[in-house]
Amino acid sequence: MGNQELIVEKHSERIHHGLEVLPSLRHGLPAGLGNKRWTAELILATYEMALTGDLPKNDLEYKIGDSGGGFDVLGWKNDAFAKVDQETVDLSISLNKRGEGRKIEIPLPIYGGGMSFGSISLNFMLARARAAKKIGTYTSTGEGGYPDAIVPYRDNVITQVATGMFGVREETIQYAPIVEFKYAQGAKPGLGGHLLADKVTSEVAKMRESSMFTSLYSPFPFHSVYSVEDHKKHVDWIKTVNPRALVSVKVSTPTDVDMVAIGSYYAGANIIHIDGGYGGTGAAPEIAKKNIAMPVEYAIPKVHDYLVSEGVRDDIVLIASGGIRTADDIAKSIALGADGCVVATAEAVAVGCTHCGNCERGRGCQVGITTTDPELSQFIEPEWGEERIVNLYTAWTKRLRSILAGFGLKSVRDLRGRKDLLVRYK
Amino acid sequence: METETIKPSKYERFRIETKPAPHVYQIPNKFDVSARKVRLAAMLVHEAFEFKLNKEVVLSRPCIYGVFGGRLGGFKPLKHKCVGCMRCVQEYPHIMTVKQSDEYKRLGDSFWTPEAVFTIWNEASTGKIPVKGMGYKGAFGGEGFDGIWTDMSEIVRPTRDGVYGREYISTCVDIGRKPTKVDFSKLDQPPSTVKVPVPIIFDELPTGNRGVWAAVGTAAEKLGTMFVSRDQTRGDSHRERMVPIVDENSIYETIEKKPAVVEYDAEESDLFEKLARRLPSSIVIARIPLREDTGMVVCKLAREGVHGLHLYADYHGQDYSKDPLHLSASLKEAHQQLVKEGLRDQVTIIASGGITLAEHVPKAIICGADLVGIDTTVLVALQAEFLGETRDRESYKLRPRRIDPGWGAQRLVNLFGVWHDQLIEILSAMGMRDVRRLRGDIGRSMMDTELREQSFKGIAWATKN
Repeated sequence: MGNQELIVEKHSERIHHGLEVLPSLRHGLPAGLGNKRWTAELILATYEMALTGDLPKNDLEYKIGDSGGGFDVLGWKNDAFAKVDQETVDLSISLNKRGEGRKIEIPLPIYGGGMSFGSISLNFMLARARAAKKIGTYTSTGEGGYPDAIVPYRDNVITQVATGMFGVREETIQYAPIVEFKYAQGAKPGLGGHLLADKVTSEVAKMRESSMFTSLYSPFPFHSVYSVEDHKKHVDWIKTVNPRALVSVKVSTPTDVDMVAIGSYYAGANIIHIDGGYGGTGAAPEIAKKNIAMPVEYAIPKVHDYLVSEGVRDDIVLIASGGIRTADDIAKSIALGADGCVVATAEAVAVGCTHCGNCERGRGCQVGITTTDPELSQFIEPEWGEERIVNLYTAWTKRLRSILAGFGLKSVRDLRGRKDLLVRYK
Repeated sequence: METETIKPSKYERFRIETKPAPHVYQIPNKFDVSARKVRLAAMLVHEAFEFKLNKEVVLSRPCIYGVFGGRLGGFKPLKHKCVGCMRCVQEYPHIMTVKQSDEYKRLGDSFWTPEAVFTIWNEASTGKIPVKGMGYKGAFGGEGFDGIWTDMSEIVRPTRDGVYGREYISTCVDIGRKPTKVDFSKLDQPPSTVKVPVPIIFDELPTGNRGVWAAVGTAAEKLGTMFVSRDQTRGDSHRERMVPIVDENSIYETIEKKPAVVEYDAEESDLFEKLARRLPSSIVIARIPLREDTGMVVCKLAREGVHGLHLYADYHGQDYSKDPLHLSASLKEAHQQLVKEGLRDQVTIIASGGITLAEHVPKAIICGADLVGIDTTVLVALQAEFLGETRDRESYKLRPRRIDPGWGAQRLVNLFGVWHDQLIEILSAMGMRDVRRLRGDIGRSMMDTELREQSFKGIAWATKN
């Protein structure tokens, strides 16, 4: 083994060991870790769940952060005693509620959000795809193309079609059980996408059919879509290329997000996916993350209520994302009106992300998540990453079941829109 | 035979030329990284055995930013290089500690957070928009501007691609009174307005020195904007960019200089008529502190014919009411009162006090301002030192440093450049071509308090155990 391999092995082993040791608090709570949304405790609790597949046994806070609003000021009316057997609680949801088309169910109300090849390492992408396959859910390619290594997992991979059309080819649409149109994203609503030049390596450039080390912009919006009718043409295009695919429409959360949702329904979408302004994994201007578009906590009831009033709520799936950090956030989203959630950052935290936000600096992520650096990428072995993500979802499953059982609900579908089960704290 | 040549277009897209203006005074390290030295030494010995004295492997460091790249490695970390990624703590939790440094935590005052000070420093030194990965990391919503989100347009929009796009988004605003109807007898006298290319001016600074005044004057000149000054001897070489604040004592001096725009303290003197008569081609702006009765006062002034209103809060963005409100609330109130009385389109509103981050510009405009003035932000950009609370306009605790005016001007140009780019990002996301359309357009914003009540309606209140 050469020195380079030894160095990678050394740091990889130490990082993995650290992720095991830190949640025990043997060395205290790391002072510089975390922030208001992802507190140090929440990050360590996620490491712990990714390690054990169980909820933290020590007092680490694993339900909420410290943002002072949204999910963090919502709680449950009754969360104490199981009224039904937790093991019998059904967490599956359907991703197609229309009368026609392929019926797809996922065993828990979660699937993975789009993180593109180029913005994340191939190894992390593979870990996510493997985890999705093992669980029986989905992960999304993001807008960076479809690496060959992902093809064996294609039954569990959503192909994203976004404004830059990077990597969108007939076969990648035909692979997909679900095709996701990304109109906008929570991290930079209304601003398109941006992959900085440093990350556009030869592999990334080849995948995106562009030049190496040149910044790549995905424009905003789709310049072929200026109306719901244009949007319908897009949906029809996908359904022509792949008649078996379900269509998801990912949008951000403007004031009229309810109108956007109903427009997507009439255009033929199976899933309306709203991505709140506080979320996102991609590098984005700070001004956009904090200030543009509403948080998903406020958007979910707005869209749910509108779809109900229009009489189409049971014909379309409402998926929420953008700041979903915990099992409690998922359950709260569903109680506010969503059918399920898309998760991305939590998967990154499961494999060691510290939420430091330095993804675009220098060589990229120091633990190999959001990087194309060949050395750093090796810190995440796909098998190890898969296991951590599966463990996290296993722990979340337990928490979701415990919440539902506490209310005597036998299915997560019965939680949808049950705001009456929530309380809010001052 | 005559050849037709295509004349080059005279059109030039407005750009602010930014270039690096690094910090002159040392800034504190954001993070304090340290190692337990005995444990570090023990670890090195252990790894020396583990890797059979393979120096390259043993000394390969757990940092990609070079914090341990000095001769003494972890024994004397290069703290200024630390970005808080925590990898060293992940790898060696028993040895390494990373925390926010005490010097960093002491930055600013109760309003100016260390994060905000750092943001302004970096914007002024680099001229680049702050970009980070992995989502938002701060508090949910909040008070004042933090409780406002701007809208975005999902599909239909006239502009493209934000700062990278080809289409022009105008950030020009006019300062002055606009007539509500055409007066055919005065067609040869066009209304007097001054156009500035960005909706930001420099307000009167709480303090300064020769270097600071010169930097402000030069930056205003380069940017095509204005600077407000109570002392008319400041920035004499950039007189045409100065907006003097006039009182009874300085009125004759001002009349001689014939400034394009002039301000007066409306609470202290009723100089409007005198100024309008003696300076018929100048724009006369009444300067008024925001408080409970501002709505009534501004309507009265607008009826009397003032050309503009400069409404200010304290340096923390709080108005001067008995129970202070944030600038956003009292500004909105004043703007709406003028709208109600049918006077709003006649006058320009400049808002200042607590405009400390790029996002405050579009949010203040949404709340009713035409443009904003910045004050303490200018001094922060020029690396002034906070010595305590800087809230009152009279008892500030902000000490300016001695600076080179050229360097200072570039810092301010950079700041405007970055804020301009961020304003364009916000306008672009909304699909707006012109910042003037944003004025008072509350419909293109979302308020935390309103959304909370709508979306959480029906959820019972509870007390946390």
